[in-house]
Amino acid sequence: MKFKLIYPKWEKLRGQTTFNLPPHGPVVFAAALPKDVQISFTDENVDTINFDEDCDFVGISMMLSTQVKRGWAIADKFRKCGKKVIFGGISTMLHAEETTEYADSVFLGEAEGRMEGVINDFKNGTLKKIYNFMGKHPAIEAVGPARRDLYNRDLYNHKGVQMVDLFHASRGCRFSCYPCAVSYLGGRVFRPRPIDKVVEDLATIENNRLFVVDNSLAQDKEWEMQLFKEMIPFKKKWISHTIEDDPKILDLAAQAGAWYVYQAVYDTSEYIKERIKRYHDYGIGVEGTILLGLDNQSEDDIKRLIDFLLEIDLDLAEFTVMTPFPHTKGHDDMVRENRIFDHDWDHYNAGQVVFHPKQMTADKLQELYNYAWTTFYADESQESKMMRLFTKVTMREMEDGTYRPRDRRLVNKSFGKKVTKKI
Amino acid sequence: MKVPEKYYDEIFEFKGQWEILSKCGLKIVNKGDKNLVIVTELYQDNPGTSVTAAGYSLLKQICEEKGLSLPQIVYLECTPDTNSVLSFYDEQYFEVRFNDTFQADYRKLSKEEIVHILN
Repeated sequence: MKFKLIYPKWEKLRGQTTFNLPPHGPVVFAAALPKDVQISFTDENVDTINFDEDCDFVGISMMLSTQVKRGWAIADKFRKCGKKVIFGGISTMLHAEETTEYADSVFLGEAEGRMEGVINDFKNGTLKKIYNFMGKHPAIEAVGPARRDLYNRDLYNHKGVQMVDLFHASRGCRFSCYPCAVSYLGGRVFRPRPIDKVVEDLATIENNRLFVVDNSLAQDKEWEMQLFKEMIPFKKKWISHTIEDDPKILDLAAQAGAWYVYQAVYDTSEYIKERIKRYHDYGIGVEGTILLGLDNQSEDDIKRLIDFLLEIDLDLAEFTVMTPFPHTKGHDDMVRENRIFDHDWDHYNAGQVVFHPKQMTADKLQELYNYAWTTFYADESQESKMMRLFTKVTMREMEDGTYRPRDRRLVNKSFGKKVTKKI
Repeated sequence: MKVPEKYYDEIFEFKGQWEILSKCGLKIVNKGDKNLVIVTELYQDNPGTSVTAAGYSLLKQICEEKGLSLPQIVYLECTPDTNSVLSFYDEQYFEVRFNDTFQADYRKLSKEEIVHILN
């Protein structure tokens, strides 16, 4: 049976450096499909969908709210050609009711151990409209190595430099952060993968650079330390979200190849300053993630925060505006106060204001968002700061013998497209 | 971010969206010919749908379970103070009315109203 797996494109944020990373969700899902299913994968962000491709069944995997409308349009086109279409993934779960209108079937929840049944139903002509596994998580041991063999590697390469591979060591989250839907999607219980399974998955990854996409590794100290110990022999360099603020763990993370972390910077406290410094003390870079437009922020607060960022020696900063994604506390609060004025999911890109902020107008917040990007990168561009982080990692790789030179075949290409040289 | 027990008399289990097991705090206060039904969001102790997202479906399940009559109910949603340093978790009460299509309309209660209701 031929299964066409599609990852819809979305419009990237204007004025920002775009890197297309190989998507994680589709290849984790693909690993849950029965072995006899022949999979062909297209990531529309780097490739064109061939609607005439020979296939029996179409799967659309979506992660972002900004993908859903495109996903629905793709489904329409395939269904007009008589193909059955099933949707799955994070944003399918967040936008499930609407998505059912565009689908033959919608899969909600985690796929491991469930796809045999779905494929059999398809073969027997008894495909269900909804496969509802919300809140019913499969055993975490069932999560096997992702099907990274499905990627067309050359399309995730920028001028000869291979993009990082995405990898996950856990699911679920015990925190209930204001703007985040992860606890709704993956459960409020932290579910670490068994270390031997993590090692098995890691061993299948040829890439020497990773992005460990877990929401926060700082949820179980013992497991986190064990994870880092086991990662050391692989000599990979990696990016992740927050790591536990503990000298022993930071030291192990550095030994395991921590390259840089995404760290939320939510105030101008000494604690944040020290937190960033402690990462740097262990040779770990920091990309600050700064959420603008929270109810407790005035215009002055945002400007002060940006000044603070320039003082604390961040390697990179990423600014987003508060976005009320469904199934978050932020969404609930704004619904109750009738503050959401834009319901177009294409605009839920965390760079466009879709609600009325408490202490300023939406236009003012939009202006401050643009001001934040411009001000932070005024003295040194984003590309240049990235290059510095990149140089650091290549130096470390040269020291431990894992450095790989650029792929000469692809130096004139960026994500599959020919690079036009500026003269 | 534990919700203090003062906000509820019992934990009410309900079927959330997509039938996910969900939980909220529940307090029912009799005020003459009206029953105040106060549902409190439990955050980390709610494994499923929030009280706001559950909306009318939650109210209906409470009425069925507790044998209450809809016209005699004043329905309140509470976002409790969780002693978090983050101001987004301050205490708030909203009176919720549902229209014919079960869409919710919210009215934030003043401090005076809250004191009056709870005493």
